[in-house]
Amino acid sequence: MSVPMSSDDRQMLATRFCGMHLDTPLVLLSGCVGFGEEYTRINGFSNRDVGAVCLKGTTLAPRLGNPPHRVYETPMGMLNAIGLQNPGARHVVDSILPELDFTETRFIANVSGSTVEEYFEVTRIFDDSPIDAIEINISCPNVKEGGVAFGNNPDMSARVVEACRRATAKPLITKLSPNQTDIAENARRCIEAGTDGFAVINTLMGMAVDIEQRTPVIGNNQGGLSGPAIKPIALLKVHQVYQVCKAHGIPIIGQGGIVTAEDALEFIIAGASAVGIGTALFYDPLVCPKINAGIVDYLQRHGISEISQLVGSLRLNTPAPPRCD
Amino acid sequence: MTSDLIPSPQPSPARGRGGLHAQRNTLFVEQAEIISHQPHAAGQYTLRLLAPQIAARAQPGSFVHLSCGAERPMRRPLSIMRADPDHGWIDILYKVMGSGTALLAQRQHGEHLDLIGPIGRPFSPDPQRSRPLLIGGGVGIPPMVFLADRMHLQPGITPLAILGSEVPFPFAAQPSRIIIPGLPAGVIAAMPLLEDWGIPSRLTSRQGYAGCFDGYVTDLARAWLDGLPAEARDEVEVFACGPHAMLEAVAALAREFSLPCQVSLEEFMACAVGGCAGCVVEITTPDGPAMKRVCVDGPVFDARQVFSTP
Ligand SMILES: Cc1cc2nc3c(=O)[nH]c(=O)nc-3n(C[C@H](O)[C@H](O)[C@H](O)COP(=O)(O)OP(=O)(O)OC[C@H]3O[C@@H](n4cnc5c(N)ncnc54)[C@H](O)[C@@H]3O)c2cc1C
Ligand SMILES: Cc1cc2nc3c(=O)[nH]c(=O)nc-3n(C[C@H](O)[C@H](O)[C@H](O)COP(=O)(O)O)c2cc1C
Ligand code: FES
Repeated sequence: MSVPMSSDDRQMLATRFCGMHLDTPLVLLSGCVGFGEEYTRINGFSNRDVGAVCLKGTTLAPRLGNPPHRVYETPMGMLNAIGLQNPGARHVVDSILPELDFTETRFIANVSGSTVEEYFEVTRIFDDSPIDAIEINISCPNVKEGGVAFGNNPDMSARVVEACRRATAKPLITKLSPNQTDIAENARRCIEAGTDGFAVINTLMGMAVDIEQRTPVIGNNQGGLSGPAIKPIALLKVHQVYQVCKAHGIPIIGQGGIVTAEDALEFIIAGASAVGIGTALFYDPLVCPKINAGIVDYLQRHGISEISQLVGSLRLNTPAPPRCD
Repeated sequence: MTSDLIPSPQPSPARGRGGLHAQRNTLFVEQAEIISHQPHAAGQYTLRLLAPQIAARAQPGSFVHLSCGAERPMRRPLSIMRADPDHGWIDILYKVMGSGTALLAQRQHGEHLDLIGPIGRPFSPDPQRSRPLLIGGGVGIPPMVFLADRMHLQPGITPLAILGSEVPFPFAAQPSRIIIPGLPAGVIAAMPLLEDWGIPSRLTSRQGYAGCFDGYVTDLARAWLDGLPAEARDEVEVFACGPHAMLEAVAALAREFSLPCQVSLEEFMACAVGGCAGCVVEITTPDGPAMKRVCVDGPVFDARQVFSTP
């Protein structure tokens, strides 16, 4: 059950991200919480417990998405291949955003497309809306065109970011894919192209096989792997992107398998200014206030007055030269 | 083409603003104590759980999303079979299918299970149709028991339940005291709980169990419908839960007899609150095909929307 935070706790948890004030460093991740209201069905859940909510990936035209099965549990994780089911940007702006309570939290759109022009158009539609920020999803592994095809190529990534930059002055957050060779190089190009922040990482591509049917379990054959299974990969990617970002003051939403306050703290120390909660909600829909409380407890124990002091505070080991014995 | 993730309005205590906010705080997370955990044949179990908030609000067709154990942190959806709001318990009947339900089977009396519920749009019987036909197959039986429970005290409603299983039924079948005209001779096996409520039931199986009809649930349903006078047939409404192939056959039968039919569907789930669009089924709408979420737009759907005319 959500315990109201004291004003001291709130002060400790408050974070700035791309110029936005976030009440807590937690961000509910795109695709896990529909268009912002779904989890409020649960008694005790509140959007006030998080700094921001990322809405489902949105394209210009409505999309039906992939055939079932779309989700499947794997060891300490899950595969999903939703295929960007969404009612189209116009519908989101005209019919869904007016229903959201912007006093509770910040809402971030998640923009996707099959062409650079589509990214531009969708961003333009959200630009003319009350949305607080726009996340560019160039890392969706579950659609044939666009998505990760843009995200794996630094030139293409930069073109998408440039186009979105032209379409809006709102904060732009670029969501990077782990399915690429040099994430740091990609981040560098996206900064040049005008991104204000990053989300690191999206899901990794994976597969599960039904051995009786000898078919992939997921209708789309492959899907995106999320959850604790990907956490070590996500941490390393955040660390790598942070090395590029810190000189520019560009913040990162670290994500990938965060379930506990300790997980969140690892990401913050590795360089994340905010942390994403996705799959963990499926485990425990009331996990956010628990993570908030755990972070406050850690800050108090270490005499740290605000989270920003912890961001990127990782002290790397200096490995000794190898010994031959 | 329509594609939405927009919550459908549900009859629920509204709070705050209208529209999407109407459904806030309608689902409950409970640490439910296991009051009993009864094994049956073929890896089937009944669980009685103390979950007063869920018990108070459950409706036939609604389900819980429960944590089976730490090694499999994703929850599993299971239908509510009975709910006693006065004593705060719910019953669940499940069959071990894989790793999650296998973990669940190890949980002991006195332990607690983490539940979310009651989830989903329940069955909505037409009060004008006084002869509900409840068809349950395998672990699709639970919602039919719940429906029967809620119907048995309603005056003027005379349901019939036809329950099928290809593994031994998770209860001791008994010869029925309630006569149902039009059924083949010797088909007398019934579910004791329904019998106690005065609701006639008959069992079907192709395994040759004593007193059961040798065939599919739809074969027995057809025999019963064929024997009904035309006026009585117009009072029938069909409710079904079970394997997909069974539901398809039930839907075809209902269409043939021009009967309304509601089916409860299953699909793999992640969130079970409408957030991930992981659990969709394709349905037919006047505007074309749509992907609907089994968890919150269902699990109960109009059979005509799910199974299009051949
Ligand atoms: C609304 C609803 C009500 C249900 N009611 C009952 C019930 O009353 N009794 C009962 O025995 N079963 C019921 N089921 C099916 C039950 O949820 C699955 O048998 C169970 O999830 C299998 O989990 P597992 O880990 O044992 O199997 P595995 O095959 O190991 O499961 C692996 C994954 O597939 C998913 N999965 C596999 N089969 C199903 C299925 N049929 N439905 C949904 N997810 C599945 C699991 O959730 C898990 O993510 C219901 C399903 C739904 C959607
Ligand atoms: C069911 C599901 C749907 C998702 N849909 C989207 C999406 O539409 N857009 C997007 O950018 N990321 C999407 N993601 C990725 C998540 O936002 C997140 O980056 C990823 O799951 C890693 O975090 P986690 O391990 O905490 O879940 C989706 C993830 C899941 C599990
Ligand atoms: S399981 Fe997430 S929308 Fe149904």
